[in-house]
Formats: sequence, structure tokens, C-alpha cells
Amino acid sequence: MDRNQFIKWIESPGKMAHKYSLHAVYFSTGCGIIEVPPSITARWDAERFGVIPTATPRHANLFLITGYVSLKTLRAIIRTYEQMPEPKFTVGFGSCPINGGMYYDSYNTIKHLDRYMPIDGYIAGCMPRPEAIFIAVTHLWTLIDKDMADGYKRYRKYYAQYRANQERVLGRLEWPPLFPLEKVHEASA
Amino acid sequence: MRILWFILSPLIALAVGLFFLGLARKFLARTQWRYGPPIYQPLIDILRFFTQKSVSHGAVFDLGVILSLAGSFIVVLFLPFGGICPLQSSGGLLVILYMMLLAPLGLALTAGEAANPNSSIGVSRMFTLALGYEVPLLLVVLAVMARYDTISIVEIVAAQREGVSNLATFPLVLAGIAYIMILPALLGLRPFDVMQAPQEISSGPLAELGGRYLALAQLQHAVNMFIVVSLFVNLMWGGSSNVLIFLLKMIAVLLFVLWINASFPRLRIDQAIRYLWRWPTLIAFLGLLLVEVMRK
Amino acid sequence: MSLELLMAIALGGAALTYILSGVDSKLRDAVAVIVSLTVATGVALLYGRTAEMTIATGFLGIPVGLRIGPFSWLFAMTVSAVSCLSVIFSLSYMRGRQRTGFYYAMLLLVDAGMLGVVLSGDLLTLFIFWEIMSWSTFLLISFNGGPALAAGMKYFVMSIIGSLSMLVGVVLIYVTVGTLQFAGVAAGLSEAASGYRLAILILFGLAFGVKSAVWPFHAWLPPAHSEAPSPFSAVLSGVLIKMGIYGFLLVMYVALGLKSFFSLGWRVLPVHTILAIIGAVTILVATFIAVIQTDAKRLLAWSTVAQAGYIFLGISFGTAVGVAGGILHFLSHSVFKALLFMVAGAVEYRTGGVRDLDSLGGLIKKMPVTFAAALIGVCGLIGVPLTNGFVSKWLIYKTLIVEGSPFLAFVALIGTWGTVLYGYKFLHNIFLGQLPEKYKDLKPAPFSMRLPMVILALTVVLFGVVPGLPLGVIDSIGSSFGFASIGVTAGGVAAETGTINMINIFAATLIGLILAWLIFRAGARGARVDQSDSYAAGAYVPADKYQYSVRFYDPLQRLMGSWLKDPVDSFYGGLAVRVGKVAEGLRRMYTGLVADYVMYVVLFLAALILVEIVWRPW
Repeated sequence: MDRNQFIKWIESPGKMAHKYSLHAVYFSTGCGIIEVPPSITARWDAERFGVIPTATPRHANLFLITGYVSLKTLRAIIRTYEQMPEPKFTVGFGSCPINGGMYYDSYNTIKHLDRYMPIDGYIAGCMPRPEAIFIAVTHLWTLIDKDMADGYKRYRKYYAQYRANQERVLGRLEWPPLFPLEKVHEASA
Repeated sequence: MRILWFILSPLIALAVGLFFLGLARKFLARTQWRYGPPIYQPLIDILRFFTQKSVSHGAVFDLGVILSLAGSFIVVLFLPFGGICPLQSSGGLLVILYMMLLAPLGLALTAGEAANPNSSIGVSRMFTLALGYEVPLLLVVLAVMARYDTISIVEIVAAQREGVSNLATFPLVLAGIAYIMILPALLGLRPFDVMQAPQEISSGPLAELGGRYLALAQLQHAVNMFIVVSLFVNLMWGGSSNVLIFLLKMIAVLLFVLWINASFPRLRIDQAIRYLWRWPTLIAFLGLLLVEVMRK
Repeated sequence: MSLELLMAIALGGAALTYILSGVDSKLRDAVAVIVSLTVATGVALLYGRTAEMTIATGFLGIPVGLRIGPFSWLFAMTVSAVSCLSVIFSLSYMRGRQRTGFYYAMLLLVDAGMLGVVLSGDLLTLFIFWEIMSWSTFLLISFNGGPALAAGMKYFVMSIIGSLSMLVGVVLIYVTVGTLQFAGVAAGLSEAASGYRLAILILFGLAFGVKSAVWPFHAWLPPAHSEAPSPFSAVLSGVLIKMGIYGFLLVMYVALGLKSFFSLGWRVLPVHTILAIIGAVTILVATFIAVIQTDAKRLLAWSTVAQAGYIFLGISFGTAVGVAGGILHFLSHSVFKALLFMVAGAVEYRTGGVRDLDSLGGLIKKMPVTFAAALIGVCGLIGVPLTNGFVSKWLIYKTLIVEGSPFLAFVALIGTWGTVLYGYKFLHNIFLGQLPEKYKDLKPAPFSMRLPMVILALTVVLFGVVPGLPLGVIDSIGSSFGFASIGVTAGGVAAETGTINMINIFAATLIGLILAWLIFRAGARGARVDQSDSYAAGAYVPADKYQYSVRFYDPLQRLMGSWLKDPVDSFYGGLAVRVGKVAEGLRRMYTGLVADYVMYVVLFLAALILVEIVWRPW
């Protein structure tokens, strides 16, 4: 943890601020959320790292997809992700976002979440313990330092493909496209 | 030279307020047997908010947060902090009481423009709570003004210095007790943090605020903490001509309020109003009556 | 321009407008505007003049005349300016409605009546113009028919009771003092017994109390102001109420005079303190009732009652600063209340008559200028610094605190916080929040509606930043009453305890705003989004279902709702029903048979003869 290295704050204040102020949207996407309350309470204090839950996506820069993603939840997840301000980071929590996990043969769950929204990193487990959450947070810091946590940039660049995937599996989406689709088509054509 | 103090004074208030916010989080963490964030965590948060590109819902959305922070800055200019007070004349305590309604009004305009019912409910609770604590607060402040027969806060501080002790001298004890009873409501801390209520109404008025708007709202919260605690120390604890001693007095008051904040759950808004209009109002009313009787 | 010419133009203009309405509506509109503008400029040109003249000597040899001084001039200026702006506002509002000729004629007649009241030189002229004003007001309140008629009747009955009480007072004065000119009345009353002076105060106070809607005579105001056409509501709340205040000032300080007014009553509770307490009760009751209103105009009407309480509190408290504050608050309130009623009228006009706060929302996107004007109006109503409401309220508070009435000061200050509550509710439920689907294509207010709103908004800010402008005139009014001067500077008032310097506060506000804006600019710019991109827990925002405005202050309403039913109104209603029953009983005397009537005559003659035989009084 390099929070007390003053030189780094002068050099790259934006990155350091994002690292040590990771506020997570308190969205219980699936059964994995059960491991999050212990990590924010007194025994495994997450606030030491600067990680606290927030009630609304507008305040957050971290999105934990905790557990399996059903189709109904996917709508809410995408909407919530789009309402977060940039720069933002997503972490897949548990095995389900990676490859479907326990529900690998269900008709109603998403097996590869990465096709519908960008994920910066995964935490394997079913469920990962709070210590795993903290290791993931430190890994995320390393990624931020190396500018490799650019999920939100990928979302902006390949928005047309992401939206096409979302519409294929969810049907018609009520909300308008977040980024103008024509420009994005040109960039990837 | 005076112009310099006009700009430095709000910034000093901002710094002290942010320190208080960090102190609050650290204190809460320690009472809960955990370590908690470092004291400078609010600075990190606000820096992060400033780097995020959020959304705006219109011109009033932008102007509202600016107005709310400006309102708090203006109050700071009239409030003595140790020996510093840029605007000593011009109506004193009355202007402070009046300017204190600019900040909630600005936040309410922003929250209204956000077009979100969570924000509107939060604003309704914020104003209702304000009406709740204003009743005893006004009685307390009027008792102080009647006791020292002036509306200038600088004169009140000076008069207290000539008293026997620096604490609220009799007959202002009742007013002082009532003031302590309503301090958590003024600061928006538990048991009166019903305006924010993240679990109920998604942070109330702040629900749609992100990025720099949230940063300004947090800064306003910090300056508001400074203002409320500083007003209490000036009116009830004699103020001070020394900045350091003033700061220590403020920290003492703040720790007491944070202790209450860490120990109590949240009250519903109607429970809060019922509490505020019952015992603190009664005690403050008796205090005012006592001051009036002793004046005649 | 002489006073008679002014009154002639005002009265003649009303008649001309009515005649012209049969000829051509556009010509009539133009004439109405020209007449009101001429009257307003005429009054403005009379600034600084002091004159008194007699028009005629008529009935019983009593002269009727007009006069002008700083006191009359300030009220006349406010009356004519607000009426003129209201006429301009009516140009669009009344387009395409029925009986518009009658409307304009009555509006100008009310204007003339009010002008006559403030320019009157003796009590008889005052009474004549008072009646003209009351009657034409009644006709205009019930203009829309239906519930407006009931509201108009309520106003009318209470106003007539007041006018009759005033007539009794006028006759009493004439019989005892012998003259009705103000100077003579003042001289005569100063030698009269204190019981007699109290009787005069009560008789005239009843009339002026009904008109200025102090508690408990306020019951007519909420229905009347909400049912009247909106530009006339602006005139009603803006200046008609103030005629009662003018009357109070006349009786208290001109007729009775400073010393004798303050000597009325008992030593521990003088009459002027009782009046101040009545003002405080008005503020308290009306403010909290306004918080739970759901009709935009009714909310503003209750707000008028509360602000009239402030004015009454200021003028009856009895210090120089208090009277100055009360008169300045009259001026400020005229400006921002007329502005707010015009805003309600503009919204009503564009949405097709909708006044219900529970069904509007988000109109800032469609009517931005109206919103800006409403925001400034509400800021003036609350008393945000840099608006005229702040200066006047500050003067009232200062005098209450400095003179040692902290309980009255407490009521006044809590009234301000209640005002914040209902002021914000007015703004939020109409302009902020989500825009309903059916108002998606709303057009902004027409130019002839925006012009008066903008002018009034600018006045609010102007008098807030440079309060020395109106305070100069008000100071001379105070001196003419016999108060010490309050020391007016361009930036405010310099008095013994604590100065208010608006320029200082203005500078502080500017610095605060610039500092906050600079900090704001340091952040990354945000993208502009539409109202459908709002946090809804991951769901898409449901159209027309995402606005919180019904029962906006629900916790307060549930807590205090049972206490906020107006007992005075139900008392008057019950009284009216009982009087009706008594009259119904008396009606049975008229059986319709001539034989019965002959019997009554014979019985009465027999009674007279009996009285003559037994007691021989004649």
C-alpha cells in the first residue's frame, strides 16, 4: 500500500485517489453478496482500504458483480453500470461471472458476463472469503497503477458490440444507447 | 489585506471541516473496534469525486450546489474563529441565522432538478427536520441575544470573556442544555441523519449527485460541521481569542456529538420532530423565560 | 398633474374601457393599458409634492377633498404600478374569455378606488372610495362564477360588516369632533377620553382588520384569492390587503397620533402590544396552514395572510425601525406576491387551468423565464439576503430583539422557516421534478405575461441590493408620524445597535459565490442527461410515475394536520348557518295573508297606545 508516499500523490493524484477511494455500489446481484457485509463490518474492516458501500451508482467507482447473473438482473446491472460516472471498475465476484459457475447449464443465467459488460478482474471462489476480496482490491490497485483497468474505455470503444449482445439476449432495451452508435461503428469498421 | 482574509477564512473553514469529517469516520471506526480509514480520507474521496465525469440535469442542478457551498462560505465570513472574523459588523447573529438557510435551499434546488423522488423525499425530510431543530435553536439564540443585549456575535464572545468562567453562565444554563440536546440534529448526525438515510432513500438529496457535484456537496457538509460547532463554541463556551484553544474547544464538542452518533440508531422523521419539539423546546423556552424575567 | 385630474383619468378610464368593449376589443385593451400607465406615471410625477385640495362641498356642508404627502405617495405608487402590471398581464390571460370588457372596467375601477382611498383628504372621501373599492372587488372576485361566487359572497359579507363599522366610526367622529379632515380629527381626538379613543380604534380596526386579513378576520382571503382570476389575485394580494394597512397606519398614527396610541390600554399590556400579538398569531397560524395546501393559489393566499401578519406586527410594535420595517415589508410583499400570483397565472394559462400542485411538475424545462421569476419571487418571500424581503424582515426582527420582545421575534423567525417550507413546495411541485407526458409540448409564457414578471423580479433584487431607495421615502413617512429618523444610507440603515450594510453583505455573497464557482470549475465537466436517466434502482424510469409531490410534507401533515383545521373559518360558517336559521324563523312572520299584516299593524298601534297611557313618554 503506497498511500503514504507523498511523491506518488503529486505525480498522479487521479490514480492514487481512485485507488484509495474505491466506493462500491451496494447492489446485491446474486448470492455472493453474503460475503460482502462481513467484509465491511468490524472484523474484516474494508474501510481501512478506503472501500465503503454506497447507495447509488452515481457515487460509486467500483461495481462488484457478486454471484450469478440472471436475465432479469442483467438489465439492472447494465443500467446501473451505465449510470456510474467514469472512470469506473468492475470486478466479477465468484465463479458465476467467469463461466457460469454452479449454474453452468441453466437456461436463465449468463455464462460469460464479459460479453455484455467489461470486467476488469475476477475473484474465483464460491463464495470468495473476505480475505480474497482484499487481495482482489490490492490487485486492482496494481492494475490501476499500470493503466490496465480500462474496462470503461473498452465499453466506450466497442459499445456497438456490447449493445448488440445485450439486445440479442434481453430483447428490446428501453433506454437509449449510452454512446452514439454511428460513430462507434466507424471506429471499429 | 482584508480581502486576503475574505478568501482565507472560508478555506480555513474548509480545511477544518474536512479534518472533522475524517475525525468522525475514524472515531466511529474506533468505537466499533476496527481501524477505519486514515484521517485524511475525506480529502482522497473529494479528490476522486473531482476526477469523475458525472451527469448534470440542467442549469439549476449546477447552480444549486454552487449556491449551497457559497451560502456556507458566506456564513463563515461572519463567524469568529479564534481571533479571525472578516465581517464583524453588518448585523451579526441575525445575518448568520438568515444565511444558514441558503445552504439547504441550494441543495434543495439541485435535488429538485434531479427529477428523482428519492431526492424530493430527502428534501422534504431535510426541511421538516430544519423546522424541527429551528424551534429550540431560535429560542436558545434569542435567549443569548436577550442576555447580552446585542445581536453582534463578536460582542457576545467578548462579554463572555469578562464573565466569571468561560462556560455558559447562569441563567443561560438551560439554554445551553437545550442547545447540546439539539446539536446532533444541526449536524445531521445520528440519531438525526434521516435526511441522508442511504438505506432508505438512496442518500436522499444526494442520490443523483456524482462527480464534482458530489464533491461540492461533501465540501458543504464539511463547512456546515465547522459552522455549527463554531457557533456553539462562540455562543455557549466563550469563544476564544486564540485559534488553537478555539480549535481544541471545537474538537471537544465534536467528540461529544460523535459519541452520541456512534451510540444511537436513526430516528424516523416524525420521531425526530416529536423529540425536538418536546424536551429541548421546553427547556429552551424556560431558559428564555428565565432570561427575560431576570432582565426586568 | 393635479390630484383631481388623476382621479378623473382613473375613474373615467374605467368607464371608457367598459364603453369601448362593445366597439373593439383591441382598442379596449390598448385604452386599458394606456389609462393604467398614465395613472402610474402621473403618480410617479407627484413624487415629493405635498398638497391638499378640496373638490366639493356637499352633503351636510362637509368638504370632500384629496391630499398627497410621502405617506399617500408611497401607497399610491405601489397601487398604480402593480395595477398597471396586472393590466398588462391580463392582456394574454383574458384573451378569448367571456365578459372581458366588464373585467377590464372593474380592474380599472378597483385601481381608481384604491387610489382614491390613499389620496383621500378626509374621512368621508375615504369612506366613499373604500366602498367603491370593496364593491368592485366583490364583482371581480366572483367573475368566474361557481365556487368563485361563494368566495365572493364570503368576502362581501365580511367587508360590508367592516364598512358599516367604519361608517359608525366616521359618524361618531363627526358628531363629537365636528370635522372630518385629518388634521382636525387628530386635534379633536387628542383631547378626547381614552375610552372614546379605544372605541374609535376598535370601530375602524374592524374595517381595516377585515380588509388586511389579520387573524381572526382572515377567513375570506384564501377562497377569494384562489378563485379570482389570476391577474386580479395579484392585485388583491399585492395591494388590496394593504389598503387595510394604510387604514391602520392612518388611525394609529395620523388620527390618534403617536402618544395617544401608545397610551391606550393598561400599563402592563398596552393596546399596541395586543395588536402585535394578534399579528404574531396570524403569522403562526397562516404559515403552518400554508405548508399543507395543495392548490397553488390557495397556498399563496395563506402566505399573504402570514405576510400581512408580519406587516401588522411591524407597524403595531411601535418603534421607528418597526414601523419602517412594516411599511417596507408592505412594499416588498406587494412586489413579490404579485409576481408569484402572476407565475401561478402563467402556469394556469398554459396548462389550461391547472392549479393543483399534485399534478404539475418539471415545467422548468418548458417555461424557464417563468421559473427564474418564480425563484426570485420565492427568495424574496423567504427573505434570502439581497432581496427586498430580507431588508424588511431584518428591520422587523432587529426591532423586536433590540426592544426586548424575544417571544414575538421567535414567532417571526419561525414564520420564515415555515415560509421556506411552503415556498420550496410551490417551486418544486410546479417547476422541478419530472415533466408529465401531457405537458411535453407546453409553450413558454407569452411576452405580455413575461414582461411584468421580469419587471417585478428586477424590482425585488433592486430593492434588496439598494434598499436606500425606498427607505428614504419610508423614513420621511416615519418622521411625519412623529418617530425619530432611522438614519438611511444608500446601502441600508445605520442605527445605534448594529448596522445593516447591504453593500457589505452583497460583497460577501459575491466572494462566496465566486469561490464556490472556482472550486466547481476544478472538477470534470458532466454530461447533460434527460430526466429519464435518473437513479431508479437499476430499472428504467417509469414515465409519469416518478414524481414525488403528493403530500410533500407528509410527516408534518400527519403530526400537525388535526391542529391545522381553521377554527375561525368553521366558527364563521357556523355563525352564518345560525343567523340563517334565525332569519328563516323570522321569515315565518310573512305569511302572505293581508289579514295577518293588518293584524300586525293593529297590534302595534295598540301597544303604542298602551305605552302612552301607562308611562306617558311623549
